[in-house]
Amino acid sequence: MKLLRPAIILIGLLAIWQVVVSLSGAPPYILPGPWAVAQAWSQRPELFLHHGTITMAEILLGLIFGLGLGVTSALIMAYFRPARQWLMPVLVVSQAVPVFALAPVLVLWVGYGMASKVVMATLIIYFPVTAAFHDGLRRTEPGWLELARTMNGSRWAILRHVRIPAALPALGSGLRVATAVAPIGAIVGEWVGSSSGLGYLMLHANARMQIDVMFAALATLSLLAVTLYFSVDSAVRHAIKWQPDSHSNEP
Amino acid sequence: MTNFRTFFTCLLLIAITMIGQPAQAAEKMTVLLDWFVNPDHAPLIIAREKGYFAAAGLDVELTAPADPNDPPKLVAAGKADIAVSYQPQLHVQVEAGLPLVRIGTLVATPLNSLVVLKDGPIKTIADLKGKKVGYSIGGFEDAVLGKMLEGAGLSLKDVTLINVNFSLSPSIISGQVDAVIGAFRNFELNQMDIVGKPGRAFYPEEQGVPSYDELILIANKARLNDSRLPRFLSAVEKATQYLVNHPQESWKLFASAYKDLDDELNKRAWAATLPRFALRPAALDKGRYERFAVFLKEQKLIKSIPALDTYAIELP
Amino acid sequence: MNETTVTPPIPIGLSVRHARLAWHEQVLFDGLDLELKAGQWTCLLGPSGVGKSMLLRLILGLDGSQENSETINCSDGLQLNGRVAFMAQQDFLFPWLNVLDNVLLGSRIRNAVGNRDKAMQLLAATGLADVSEAMPDTLSGGMRQRAALARTLMEDRPVVLMDEPFSALDVISRIKLQELAAELLNCRTVLLVTHDPLEALRLGHSIHVMTGRPATLGAAIVPDKLPPRPVDDSGVLEHQGELLRQLAEAAP
Repeated sequence: MKLLRPAIILIGLLAIWQVVVSLSGAPPYILPGPWAVAQAWSQRPELFLHHGTITMAEILLGLIFGLGLGVTSALIMAYFRPARQWLMPVLVVSQAVPVFALAPVLVLWVGYGMASKVVMATLIIYFPVTAAFHDGLRRTEPGWLELARTMNGSRWAILRHVRIPAALPALGSGLRVATAVAPIGAIVGEWVGSSSGLGYLMLHANARMQIDVMFAALATLSLLAVTLYFSVDSAVRHAIKWQPDSHSNEP
Repeated sequence: MTNFRTFFTCLLLIAITMIGQPAQAAEKMTVLLDWFVNPDHAPLIIAREKGYFAAAGLDVELTAPADPNDPPKLVAAGKADIAVSYQPQLHVQVEAGLPLVRIGTLVATPLNSLVVLKDGPIKTIADLKGKKVGYSIGGFEDAVLGKMLEGAGLSLKDVTLINVNFSLSPSIISGQVDAVIGAFRNFELNQMDIVGKPGRAFYPEEQGVPSYDELILIANKARLNDSRLPRFLSAVEKATQYLVNHPQESWKLFASAYKDLDDELNKRAWAATLPRFALRPAALDKGRYERFAVFLKEQKLIKSIPALDTYAIELP
Repeated sequence: MNETTVTPPIPIGLSVRHARLAWHEQVLFDGLDLELKAGQWTCLLGPSGVGKSMLLRLILGLDGSQENSETINCSDGLQLNGRVAFMAQQDFLFPWLNVLDNVLLGSRIRNAVGNRDKAMQLLAATGLADVSEAMPDTLSGGMRQRAALARTLMEDRPVVLMDEPFSALDVISRIKLQELAAELLNCRTVLLVTHDPLEALRLGHSIHVMTGRPATLGAAIVPDKLPPRPVDDSGVLEHQGELLRQLAEAAP
């Protein structure tokens, strides 16, 4: 039953897509219909799987580095006041500067290999994770902090035993947001210059007027992104089992 | 007194309306360029600046695309009248079902070239073995590269191809790739020279690739009877003549129309492109197009060769 | 809820002199003196907003007040720091720890190994032995506050400060918990802040009424008989009427 709803949504979206194509009379080299795209996929599934694996690897590595860097930065900022004053503007800039602007510079500097895509994905993930976790660390329930202080906890002990566990739900939220935007970083990196990956495949197919292949690559990317999101969401919920979910009693 | 005032007011109103309307309404035309405005588009710019379009009763709007892949699609979808495109791509686009027809030529020679750093380790094409080559248009440029490598006894498997998405000069200058294919000899070479990292070019047409028109003008197949098209082409021809006869004045016209392009790079590119413009824009060399189609089929870029007059014509 | 095997430490008295607190230019109290007799329950009774919780927090050293004009002396001459435990109105159990780990929170915070046996004894004493592995969100309000009491006891400090610890509970749970606390905190020096005269009369060896702005402490009221006093005790009921009148008059 749980799978039925997403399946219905998917079929509904496909139907709307087909209707839009039929009604607007859009030619296949601008907007192919879902059937044409499905055919393009089934003709060469290994192509999409190959490039999909590469892009997925870039996203996952970006998530790991982004998470690591973000958690570390948030902890440093929460613990050392001067660190917060110096790092916060950097953090904001990292989010404000559009990834598109940074990408070419980054690629020229780091090269056209996987590294530049991983760096791009990391950059895009860094802000949501850091901001969310730092916020969580700062906004700990005062009652818990006071209790720990009356128990003579050191500043470090309070960080470790009170602030960090209390901030995990916030980190979870940040991680969810980051997972949703991570694919953007990897794809933009590939668009700037690459020799493999779904973004590369989209560019290539577009230039050769194989718009159905381009859309099939896009569909593969969407599927990967959605799967990744729900996996991370499930992992977060499992890790933070104690976080009361206000909807847990609904069917 | 009142009669005089009324008469005078009427006269004034008529005068105003007449000034507002041109003597004969010029017909609008949308022309999509292939890339940002650059010296390759000289005939079009001159035709506009010297009033040749206006004299032909045309109000031509030249637009640079956001995505270089869009112009052919937009013309095929009927959203623009003419696009500047590339002959090699036309063959591929037609096979993909786009209803496009070549109606004129802008640049009658290949501009595409394989570029390496002049002082770099690559001295001959054979030196590319095991090296990285950047390209920008998937499909065509690697086919050209494949043919050029053939002549040196190599194949595409002997090099690593990297799609650098139009940042060709930066990638070769920074050393991230060892060579680039798809660099325009009139533009990228000058660009590299100016930043102090001169390049050396290998020309495809000298390495076994049949000659072709780099920049062509395409229109929608269903609109070939549009009377604006022949008038457009004759204005382009006039402009090309002016270019050839008055190279200095034409550069000044271009520079004053696009002040931000009045720099060393564009000046050099202008001079380098001048000998390559089609002196007879409307004329079509059928044999040349047929031979190139055969080449593309050999390179497996297209599966079949349709009748030439279905995608390339000379307008009457 | 039988005998506890936690032996209380030697009781110490506490004296607070010249306590002063100003908040946003309002002087809450100034020159306040309070005496906590060793091993006894002192109840601080007053209307809400008078500053009794603030006085408690002042003694605890929370809120980092700038003017440390107050002096806090222990009867044995040693520092108060590290010898006082705190129980608030909310249980503040950590939702990510089970009941047992919550009771052992003190040693966790101090990076020491916790005495699990002692914790289990305290849980048994507070009637929570069956739920030691449960997560706090599965417990009722009364059970959570009992767990907080067990945690406070685990700290094994000679002085215990409590800020309206039972006011969030329903009447029956409140009465039961009052008796439990009185039994388990026997022979410790307790300062209980409350707004409920009945609670103060049931549990306090001496009661101070705090009223006014700036607030002052009334003289100690020492009811007959030892706490915990039964709810239907005549003395308790008589005094309750008196105290209620006092509080009502003091309210603005």
